[in-house]
Amino acid sequence: MFPFVDGFQWTFGHILFLTVFGMVVATMAVTLFVVIQRVLDHYRKDRVEHVQWQSDFHDLSEMDRRCRHELAGRVPRRECHNAFDCGECREHPKFEKIEPATTALSLEAFGLDFPADRLYHRGHTWVRLEDDGTMTIGLDDLGKRLLGAPDRVELPKPGDEVSVNGAAWYAFRNETPVRVLSPVDGVVVATGGPDQDWYLKVRPTRANPNLAHLLRGPEVSAWLRRELERLQILVGVTGAGAALADGGALMEDLPGAQPETNWDGVYGKMFLAP
Amino acid sequence: MMANTPNTATAAPVQENRKIRRFGMVINLDNCTGCGSCMMTCAVENNCAPAKEKITDRTGITLMRVFPVNDRQPMPVRQAGFVPMPCMQCEDPPCELVCPQQAVELDPLSGIVDQMPQRCFGCRYCMAACPYHARYFNWYDPEWPKGMEQTLNPAVAPRMRGVVEKCDFCHGRLHLAEDQAAIDGNDDYTYTPACVEACPTQAIVFGDLNDEDSEVSQLAKDPNSFRFLAKLGTEPKVYYYSEHEWRRNLAERDMNGNASRNEGKEA
Amino acid sequence: MTGTITKPAAIATVEKKWIVRGHERCSTARFMGWLAPWIGLLLLGLYATYLCFRYGLGETHLDNRFGFGLWIFLDLAVIALGAGAFFSGFLLYILKWKEIKAVINSAVVLGFLCYSGAVAVLAVDVGQPLRAWFTFWHPNTHSMLTEVTFCITVYLVVLTIEYLPIILKNRKFKSIPSFLVFEWELHKLMPVFAGVGVFLSFFHQGSLGGLFGVMRGRPFAFREGFSIWPTTFFLFVLSAAAVGPSFIILTTKLVEKITGKRLVKQDIYRVLAKTTGVLLTVYVALKSLDTLLWLNSTSIRAGVAPWEFYEFRPFGHATLFTEIVIFGMIPALLLLSRRLRERPGVITLGAVLACLGVVFNRFVMTIQTLALPTLSFDEFMIYLPNWVEYAVFGGVIAYAVIVYSLSYRYLNLFPQEMELQLAPKEVNDVSVR
Repeated sequence: MFPFVDGFQWTFGHILFLTVFGMVVATMAVTLFVVIQRVLDHYRKDRVEHVQWQSDFHDLSEMDRRCRHELAGRVPRRECHNAFDCGECREHPKFEKIEPATTALSLEAFGLDFPADRLYHRGHTWVRLEDDGTMTIGLDDLGKRLLGAPDRVELPKPGDEVSVNGAAWYAFRNETPVRVLSPVDGVVVATGGPDQDWYLKVRPTRANPNLAHLLRGPEVSAWLRRELERLQILVGVTGAGAALADGGALMEDLPGAQPETNWDGVYGKMFLAP
Repeated sequence: MMANTPNTATAAPVQENRKIRRFGMVINLDNCTGCGSCMMTCAVENNCAPAKEKITDRTGITLMRVFPVNDRQPMPVRQAGFVPMPCMQCEDPPCELVCPQQAVELDPLSGIVDQMPQRCFGCRYCMAACPYHARYFNWYDPEWPKGMEQTLNPAVAPRMRGVVEKCDFCHGRLHLAEDQAAIDGNDDYTYTPACVEACPTQAIVFGDLNDEDSEVSQLAKDPNSFRFLAKLGTEPKVYYYSEHEWRRNLAERDMNGNASRNEGKEA
Repeated sequence: MTGTITKPAAIATVEKKWIVRGHERCSTARFMGWLAPWIGLLLLGLYATYLCFRYGLGETHLDNRFGFGLWIFLDLAVIALGAGAFFSGFLLYILKWKEIKAVINSAVVLGFLCYSGAVAVLAVDVGQPLRAWFTFWHPNTHSMLTEVTFCITVYLVVLTIEYLPIILKNRKFKSIPSFLVFEWELHKLMPVFAGVGVFLSFFHQGSLGGLFGVMRGRPFAFREGFSIWPTTFFLFVLSAAAVGPSFIILTTKLVEKITGKRLVKQDIYRVLAKTTGVLLTVYVALKSLDTLLWLNSTSIRAGVAPWEFYEFRPFGHATLFTEIVIFGMIPALLLLSRRLRERPGVITLGAVLACLGVVFNRFVMTIQTLALPTLSFDEFMIYLPNWVEYAVFGGVIAYAVIVYSLSYRYLNLFPQEMELQLAPKEVNDVSVR
């Protein structure tokens, strides 16, 4: 086969054979090389958390990836293709100009508290812009009820950086880890915790922080309605979701009230980390 | 088909000044008594290990094998005979076409289909491809009882377990003849395979089919000579000769609907 | 492997970290109980393999006439069934049929298991497995087996690369950042590997058919064709592509049955069944045409009367009828009819018949070819495999079941599993197309 083997003579068969297989092997080798280059590139540019979010988003089911404008009734059906980064979305500015069409849900009926002075991230955190230029990050009311009283939390230290859709902190409930996504980019300046109303105070890394992806105003209740529906389906099958079905107020400590539920699975869906 | 061109990729380049031979055989079926001398001599010549207890006629190694045949007539009028089958040394060998690693090649100088057991990895595709069942697999390790290794032929390498082997017209003898010719500086040599030598009735004639004057060439052209399964187009270089029509009719399968199965067993 | 829905099964804490988030899996003890008999079979297979390696292939019932036996026949069958991997890759990545996403992971794992299993059996089947690399060093470019060896080796690498992202998506592995980033990038370029896999599969599935079609010395197998490719080349490609989707249907249904879960939506079964139906129809038509040509022309020129092939029991005319009509035309028509496809039972029946058909075809091509006499004084021969042959193959089946079970337990083989587990029953059958 090869020129250095005794008595070798090239034939058309050899040339064809070697060319075809050479091309196949070369294609595979080049592709693997490109993959490794791209991996190294992510490391060089410190984009690991970003990739993790992209990957998690990809793993979410179609139902979990609905566009915020669908939830707000601005468009009948639309799946998000930008990993919930509305700043990157071309259609987002157009939709934003349309008046939301859904009837606002009375959050009070569920006993939920979603103050209007905040922006909400789809991973159940909120951001409040403070006068001193910092941003306060906390867990929203539904997130709080999902976790109940966490066994412990792992917070970043002041000086650590958090990046949007990366891990902000970890909470543990009944040995189930929950990766809570950060709604914004920033450097941690102070930490709170489950006992306080807030978890992190961050200083934005950029002068004009990108907040386009955060939900605000009447959108919030529309989104929350869908979230409660999702939760209903999740706990309806994984546990006895009687409280929600009856339209009663949401319990303060859901895992405590429904220990039979597979909360690990529910957390994966609700906190967008499948 | 691409395959019809002889595969010369690993064959030694043919030197122009060397004589190109086509060794072949004519086996006279009328002379064969089925004594089995050729089979015995073949096994001894080619260092075939003695058969183990478990070996059957389907797993043994018989590079030359004598099959009993008959004309399928009812018993009192039945005529019987024998067909010795070595490798047919096809000019267009189906086994060479299929071997994935060129362990089989048609030697351009001698016309012999060479099997390289040291390259064979034992896939047995060649055995499936051979219509003459002339290929044998080493199902066990070859072993010689103590003392018997003294009988080994130093000119032939024994084959290991797990490879295919077949008749190669006693290549040990061919090599000795070639060596002698090289020493003598004379390219005009021939030799005699062991079975030819051993046949008590001289039923086998061996020689160069390229040589018009050789006995084997003359006999091969005789109207009473035939080759098995010639319609397959494998161009065997082993011819058979018989003056009896029923024996010549063994060449091809009966297409007329008469039962064509052999009722006898092998010798 | 059934897990209850409301009560989390008793899964060891250490194991929980490996199970995909939200997946319901049976208790550790129950899973071990499921694996135990398979491990036993695997050990038996390993013992039989040891016998073959230690004492030679004389330990089997293979002989000089049946150089190919149970192993080669089943290898060919398994590789044809494993074509589901390449064909679903082709449908998903090249033709962009989104529905296939629901089964692609399972198909890749099955493909990997079929091919690696077949290669493992081949390693026992050949006399000198350590010399297998000679084919790469001294390849006979005229041999179909050379092409098969090259393609299967490279394709097994492709399948491993396709399997890798599925493994790296495991909950534990995913938490390792470098694994996750590698998986993400590899996943993005998967269409390239799928394309290469399709190319390689097309050729080696064909060459496996060519293996028999080129055997001029065996009129039962020999076929004429185009250029260097006998008709069996094309028939094997087509039949493998046709039954690949059916095999995915059957394995998925089997896993659903064993686990007691719904893993894919009904419409995916319909899409796969239709694919088999259409391809099998074309195959049966061409196979019939090929059979007529072969019986009326090719075999006569080779000196064999066509009636002779079916003269020797147990291979009667029923063999041909079974292969083409019962295992070919009937499943093709069952799966081709839109009305019949609405019934899950019909899909199962059609898929079973189609898969049996390809297995039977490979059996006929391997075993009947060798059993039939060639010389006029030849005998028709019977071969029955012995326990060593069955055990080695059983070991490979056990290997496949074990690896598949582990994959099912710890990996996300059916992306719709979660969704179906959560969705109310009546929503399950809504089409996604």
